[in-house]
Amino acid sequence: SFPGERTEEETEALAAGKSPGTEAADRGWAWGVVLHFFLVNVLVIGMLKTFGIFFVAFQEEVGGSSEQVSWIGSIMSSLRFLGAPLVAVVCRRLGERPTSIIGAGLVGGGCLLSTQATSIPFLCISMGLLLGMGFACLYQAAAVMTAKRCRTRLAFSNAIARSGMGLTFLIAPFTQLLIDSYGWQGTLLIFGGIMLNLVPSSMLLRPISTQLPQHSSAKNQNRGALTAKKDSEALDGCLDETTHREIQQRSAQDLPTTEGLRMCHGRDVSGAVNTPAWEKLQKPPTDSCSPETATEAKKSYKSLPLTEKENSQPLLDFSPLKDPIFCIFTWSFLFSHLAYFVPIFHLVARARTLGISSMDASYLISVAGITETVSQLLSGWVADQNWTKKYHYHVAYLVLGGITNLLCPLATTFPLLMTYAVAFAIFCGGFMALILPVLVDLVGVEKLHSYLGFAAFFAGIAAIGGPPLAGWLYDYTQTYVCSFLFAGACALISPISFFFEPSAQKWKLKKANL
Amino acid sequence: LLGVPGTSVEKNITLDRRTRIELSCRLDNKYSHLKSLQVTWKRGNETVRHINKTETSWSIQLRILDNSKLGSYSCTLKGEEEISAIFNLQVPKIEGKEKPIVSYEGDTAVMICKSFGYTPIAWAWYMTNGSEQIAINDTLLANKYVINRISANVTHMKILKLTKEDNGVYWCEAAFELGKSKGKLKLKVLSLMVPLKPFLAIVAEVVILVTIIFLYEMYSKKKEKSA
Repeated sequence: SFPGERTEEETEALAAGKSPGTEAADRGWAWGVVLHFFLVNVLVIGMLKTFGIFFVAFQEEVGGSSEQVSWIGSIMSSLRFLGAPLVAVVCRRLGERPTSIIGAGLVGGGCLLSTQATSIPFLCISMGLLLGMGFACLYQAAAVMTAKRCRTRLAFSNAIARSGMGLTFLIAPFTQLLIDSYGWQGTLLIFGGIMLNLVPSSMLLRPISTQLPQHSSAKNQNRGALTAKKDSEALDGCLDETTHREIQQRSAQDLPTTEGLRMCHGRDVSGAVNTPAWEKLQKPPTDSCSPETATEAKKSYKSLPLTEKENSQPLLDFSPLKDPIFCIFTWSFLFSHLAYFVPIFHLVARARTLGISSMDASYLISVAGITETVSQLLSGWVADQNWTKKYHYHVAYLVLGGITNLLCPLATTFPLLMTYAVAFAIFCGGFMALILPVLVDLVGVEKLHSYLGFAAFFAGIAAIGGPPLAGWLYDYTQTYVCSFLFAGACALISPISFFFEPSAQKWKLKKANL
Repeated sequence: LLGVPGTSVEKNITLDRRTRIELSCRLDNKYSHLKSLQVTWKRGNETVRHINKTETSWSIQLRILDNSKLGSYSCTLKGEEEISAIFNLQVPKIEGKEKPIVSYEGDTAVMICKSFGYTPIAWAWYMTNGSEQIAINDTLLANKYVINRISANVTHMKILKLTKEDNGVYWCEAAFELGKSKGKLKLKVLSLMVPLKPFLAIVAEVVILVTIIFLYEMYSKKKEKSA
């Protein structure tokens, strides 16, 4: 009874201590995560966009045809998406912070290694592979951490972080300046250093509920400490869950256990699931009570076996592929990506074919960029007000964007084209800002890693196929009109899947209750 | 060439091989009322004869056989006002590079010269030492300079094992039937320390930030532990 009393006191202390003081600290850390995500967006997207400037320098010095050199850029940008499932696995095993630091290290190391490049295949690996994987690590870890930290204002924080992409236009002249002063090798060296800045900002990705590791690591001197830390990092802010584990650790009483379980019912399942696995380690020290509570936990959660497997064998988790919600989301994600990239590529070219000078055309692009950033922030803020479900906004933006694209061929003068660009930027910014919040709404935060990983993988396939497809469309029809019609069609096809969302949810519930 | 009274019009003509060319000055119909016009064709100060004349146009025919025939030819119409037009006959221009090529000690630098549209007979490279131009002989210094003619219009020169002395201005010269044309390139050789300094500064900043965040985390953990 003495351990039990102490347990109750401690749980009260924990519960009390958590709320006022650490909530402010939590909010501070949430801003830190947004700052990190912002930096990731600026540097990653900036690096991808300025690759074109390096292209010329590589071609002259290292030799090789322009097709070979452009392979480097393609590998870099496609691995960012295609590497996501693998990164999701790593994230779940190690936690976001180590993954992000590894990502920053890969990027920095890749840049530094590229300075020694002497041939195109070398660059393909050092710049394409290393940088691509590093970007994937950074992006995945930052996105999921943002979703985990900023529960209430996810859309707005996501939009703030994505506005980093708007700043990337500054990186291009900066890169040119560096290349003129130091040559491409010196520029890559300095870029490597700048990317290393992502290491301290990755350290801001503090795992949630950091109190428990102190307690648990103090108790378990052996490997339990390490797994406890891992488990706590995988915990998704379920405060009651931590107290629940405290209780279970010392010959628990049944009443607080079930209370703890019930309190967490509305939140994440995996938190409760971690405990049985962790408890298996604890079996030798605590004898009778842990198996009981373990079985009790198993009884009250039917989905336990699946997620248990998830935790004990964290290999590639293919369960998202069987989920209809995932199919809905990926369908929409894929088509909206196509609808986004194709007009961007062809807007300037279309402006030129209409006789607009390239100065005015680049003016179009900068106005569109600024409008997009502003619209992202607005859309994020509006979505956070929770007037209606987030994916309704998403669908609305996509439909309006599709209609705008379909009307684009009617824009034949500069003012009309400017109107099109502004409208397109508004709707694009709107739906881009909502991709992550919509996924979080549909899926919840604990499975976000695997879902985001696979969704990014499929988006990567679209990203690889998009530009060549657009180019082929132009070659086939000899006009850019078709690309815009195609983009408009894609944008209209993508929200169709969301109409199946309510029925998919019902189907899922039925399956879970079976 | 059509001219407006009181002004001077100029036209550049590029020739890369021996040819016959006819230059003609024609007065626009607007100004055909100007009578008593005296037309002179000049090259520099020298008057050219053999002018073919019609009512409104005056032309000369030239056989350009070598460099000495190139230059500026002008036709001057003297009446109440003076109208003149200048034809510049020149060899094709070679483009070098505006911005200096940056490379590092011990590394290799590649210099490219292109001729647009016209194929030169031969290429030659020169290095400027002080005020003199020294020809670069790649057979003599084969482990230092490698000159390649990649295609008919493009020449590459690779300078191996760069040192500080290789800093400076280089000229690529294209030889045409009618003369030679030069392009200018600048080479800047930096030591490895130059970009290393900003890099080390950034790394130092990163280390400082990491330490600060690490210390702050330890501090806040201690605070939570004692709380």
